[in-house]
Amino acid sequence: MAERTAKQQLLRDIKRHKSVYALLAIPLIYYIIFKYVPIFNGQIAFKKYMALDGVLGSQWIGFEHFKTFINSYYFVELLRNTLMYSFGKLVFSLPLAIILAIAIYESNRPILRKTVQTLAYLPHFLSWVIMYGILLALLAPGDGIVNDTIKLLGGKPIDFLTNTDAFPWIVILSDAWKEMGWSAIIFIAALMGIDPSLFEAALVEGANSWQRVRYITLPSIRPVIVIVVLLRLGTILDAGFNQIFMLYSTPVYSVADIIDTWVYRQGLLEFQFGLATAVGLFKGVIGMFLILGSNRLVKRFGGNSLF
Amino acid sequence: MKKIGTRRKGRFTSVAIRPTAADHSFNFLVDLFLGLLLLIIAIPLWSTITLSFRPNDYIGNNLEGMFLMPWKWSTSAYEALLGNAGFLLAFGNSVKILIGGVASALLLTIPLAYVLSIPTLPGRRYLNMLVIVPYVFNVGMIPTYLLVTNIGLIDKLPAVYIPVAISTYNCLIMRSFFEGIPNELKESARIDGASEIQVLLRIILPLSKAIIMTIGLFYGVSFWNNFFHAMLYLNSNALQPLPILLRNILMASGMNEYVEVSAFGDAPIAAIKAASVFMSAIPMVAAYPFIQKYFTKGTLLGSVKG
Amino acid sequence: MKKQYFVCIALIALLSFGSLPLFSQGTKDAAVDGPMTIDLWYGAAVTEAGPPPADWVGFDIIKEKLNIDLKLTTLPSNESDQDVKIQAAAAANNLPDLFMVRRDVLTRLVPQGLVAPVDDLYEKMPTRTATHYNEVSRNHAKFGGKSYGLADPGSIVKNEGLLIRKDWLDNLGLSVPTTTDELLAVMRAFTFDDPDGNGKHDTYGYGAFQEVNNYEAWPGRRLQPILGAFGVEGTWDMTSDSAGLNILKPEFYDAMAYLKKMADEGIIDPNWLAYKKDDFRAAWKQGRFGIMREQNAAFAAQSNYAPFDKNFPDGEWVIMDPVEGPKGHASIGPYTAGFRIYAISAKAVEEGKKDKIAELLEWMASDEGYFLLGWGVEGVNYTKDANGVPVANGLPNPDLAFSGPVGQTVTQLRNMVFYNGDIELYARYPKYTTATSKKEMSALEVLRKMQTKEWTPAVGSDMLPIPNADLKRFYEQGLSEFITGKRTLTRTNWNTWLAEFKKLGGQDWNDKGVAFAKENNLLNE
Repeated sequence: MAERTAKQQLLRDIKRHKSVYALLAIPLIYYIIFKYVPIFNGQIAFKKYMALDGVLGSQWIGFEHFKTFINSYYFVELLRNTLMYSFGKLVFSLPLAIILAIAIYESNRPILRKTVQTLAYLPHFLSWVIMYGILLALLAPGDGIVNDTIKLLGGKPIDFLTNTDAFPWIVILSDAWKEMGWSAIIFIAALMGIDPSLFEAALVEGANSWQRVRYITLPSIRPVIVIVVLLRLGTILDAGFNQIFMLYSTPVYSVADIIDTWVYRQGLLEFQFGLATAVGLFKGVIGMFLILGSNRLVKRFGGNSLF
Repeated sequence: MKKIGTRRKGRFTSVAIRPTAADHSFNFLVDLFLGLLLLIIAIPLWSTITLSFRPNDYIGNNLEGMFLMPWKWSTSAYEALLGNAGFLLAFGNSVKILIGGVASALLLTIPLAYVLSIPTLPGRRYLNMLVIVPYVFNVGMIPTYLLVTNIGLIDKLPAVYIPVAISTYNCLIMRSFFEGIPNELKESARIDGASEIQVLLRIILPLSKAIIMTIGLFYGVSFWNNFFHAMLYLNSNALQPLPILLRNILMASGMNEYVEVSAFGDAPIAAIKAASVFMSAIPMVAAYPFIQKYFTKGTLLGSVKG
Repeated sequence: MKKQYFVCIALIALLSFGSLPLFSQGTKDAAVDGPMTIDLWYGAAVTEAGPPPADWVGFDIIKEKLNIDLKLTTLPSNESDQDVKIQAAAAANNLPDLFMVRRDVLTRLVPQGLVAPVDDLYEKMPTRTATHYNEVSRNHAKFGGKSYGLADPGSIVKNEGLLIRKDWLDNLGLSVPTTTDELLAVMRAFTFDDPDGNGKHDTYGYGAFQEVNNYEAWPGRRLQPILGAFGVEGTWDMTSDSAGLNILKPEFYDAMAYLKKMADEGIIDPNWLAYKKDDFRAAWKQGRFGIMREQNAAFAAQSNYAPFDKNFPDGEWVIMDPVEGPKGHASIGPYTAGFRIYAISAKAVEEGKKDKIAELLEWMASDEGYFLLGWGVEGVNYTKDANGVPVANGLPNPDLAFSGPVGQTVTQLRNMVFYNGDIELYARYPKYTTATSKKEMSALEVLRKMQTKEWTPAVGSDMLPIPNADLKRFYEQGLSEFITGKRTLTRTNWNTWLAEFKKLGGQDWNDKGVAFAKENNLLNE
């Protein structure tokens, strides 16, 4: 009896949301064609792909490509570097972006605020080719501005760009430098939704600025922060191909080579598309675990979860 | 933007509470942070700007170059770019991609984000899953390339934006903003007999100007800068957009066997590279202040009261 | 307010749905007796100058004379982008009819059955074959006995040289070094004795950057003269009695020790590991180092030499002989025959386009095609001087000159017709007088002089098997870590590292390479 009513309830719910499903129709068809057909084609991860035989006609080879990747000489190092960069960027750049957004929101100097808000996102448009030129001008061991200063102070020049100790910091800091303002935009948008009367109430209760940020501002944008973090975790094994590819060189391979640069050299340049796809799926499995796990955590603590 | 200023003043004057020492230290740190940041950001921007204006006979290193005086600047790089046979054509193609891309992206993303934001919707969990899976499992270039070829999109401008017209990331961000809109608003409209489309158009959209503009900007920039898909999917020379031209310029020396000629007359190649970055970023940069207009505090509140 | 939104939405809807059919009018092949469409993906001469305009006279001539509707696609300017684009098209069996491709990529496409053999084309194109293809080039793209690509002449052989700042030598009272020891002394003097007399420690002995390819593995082309002194220039030793990977030879260690000394003493520009090509070329124009290996035109062509001339009117680079090592060996580096391969897709042959393609290529080699594609229209883009050499002088509109920014667009296909003949060389490398120092310069004379120096024949060493990505990385990373000091360079460490290299597939790579070279008669006496 109870089951029947549950079913009826469901049917009633579905009926009630008829127009919602109608709204969904076009995006859904889009998803099937443009997101799920490629996933179907992704079966070449398990096949020896021959162009003339097509996706369906190619021969199954099981987990061969996955084994190639996992057994490859540098696998552990690739994984370590990839995680180092993506977590590094997550724990370094993201808080900076949030702080920047809040600082812009809280600043009492309209000119400073507006200038920063207008300029901060501009470096996003400088491609890594240009950024490399700037980094070279700053950091080159021979005539970089930083090393010239070091020499002036009597120090020994440092080969920042080709030194395995310095390189990871260069990657993470230059990423923050270039992308911080851009990442802050979404948090600024979120801050705009805060109800100002909350602040007035806080003032009446005698809260100071720190407390205001702690108890009103941050909690108000928490849902967005959570979503951004969760989504970033889902693609944790994407550590920024374009940046690394432009910045790295042979002496720093041991700390610079990431999964994507490996795939690029091994897979795409050598017609091993099955392998490239297999690595994509591998990254997806890890991402899925992280996203599901952290989503669960978020739910347990009563946050706004992803699903 | 004016609203903020007046309201800000009101915060301290209308409620008669004096700012404490903690408030002062807070304000000081905020301004210090912004000031330092401004300095750090200004360096790469400024050095790229001066680089783009560097004359061909410039002697000196990069540091000296940053202090090159404006009256010694040369606009030859910009002139050479504008005189480039392909520049206007590529610009036009990029504009077509931008308009088509942003329009189709928003048209697809907004309804999806809205539907996913309805908490009572049966099957919502599965729908979310359906959206997340392709985001996490990126099968890479070839499976998508096969699709694009098979449906005949290859060598057509929409090939650059249609396959990436919904970004799951953008969609879920938008969803979380929609979820932040008080439920009472939507419910009252539904009780008045409004259909979901009407709720979306009349309640959600007017309250979500800031986020729609922001996501539109995200899409716009990603389409505007999309080099990789343009390189893969577009063959005809007449269809090449700006990022391709830009890449050809940035990578110019890597390949050029015939180093004896320059494609840009007298302008130095470093200046051309720097200038090309600015030329291509201008439309997007110009759009941002316009979008900022919608970033006014307490947008939501005003609408609810009004 | 609401109305506004409706209008806005309606507009967006109209735009996005309207835009779909707008762009989607595909052009299918024309009717049977109409012109035959040929898709050509070509490597442009100067990609960034832009493709030939839609109203380029060449399209009409080709349509009229050959009944061919030529559809052009400019390949990306950088090699790895080219590879990706071609391989993606290959994966979808959607290759164009005729396309330029690197040999490494072609090696992958042939087993997939996507490329057609071209052996029968040579006799269909007598004019072209006479100037463009010889025995070596026919072998260059041969797989399993069949030729799968037309290897057109690419870069000029031995077009680089070892250059030294004569004015610096004179300032310091030194002469051109002839041995590795003397070279070391000169590099030290260039670094520490202020050769330019500006009172600052801002110069270095040797300048380089990492420029690696299949036959010039790490540290790459720019340091080959150093490796050459130790007899280990190039990836491969191509002499029949000692054939194999140079890195496995004991002399390679000595070369490494020498390089390490250069790096440790700071007499090689310390930026060399961070430089890319542009930075390196900007650096010598700024007078940062006094010895380098550079290409003839990159050094001596008017626009390239001009900044140096302005910066250092008294500066002078001279072409020197490679220095001799301890065993009396000396070489600028290995040389191969540079080719640019054009392949025909199997699909095009199925569609019966092969003969038309041959017709097109043969026409390109005719006088009409050669001058039209190479220099444009006479009287518009070029005029001929007394010797019949195209020059850019005396044109009604100088902007349209073949060497100018606009004129370059109509000669983008010139790599398909050029074969490094005399006319081309005279036209490409005209004599000129420098603006500031009034020196007589000619990149052609520089080239001729560079070619007289000691080089190591290694033709075909660019055809040998290439290592997989992991082995390649192990090779490059290991060597560079020995130089930077991350690994300590001692005989023991070196041998341990070499053993690991062999185990990882280095031995296998060596053996396969030697076997391939023997099989294809690539080894020299």
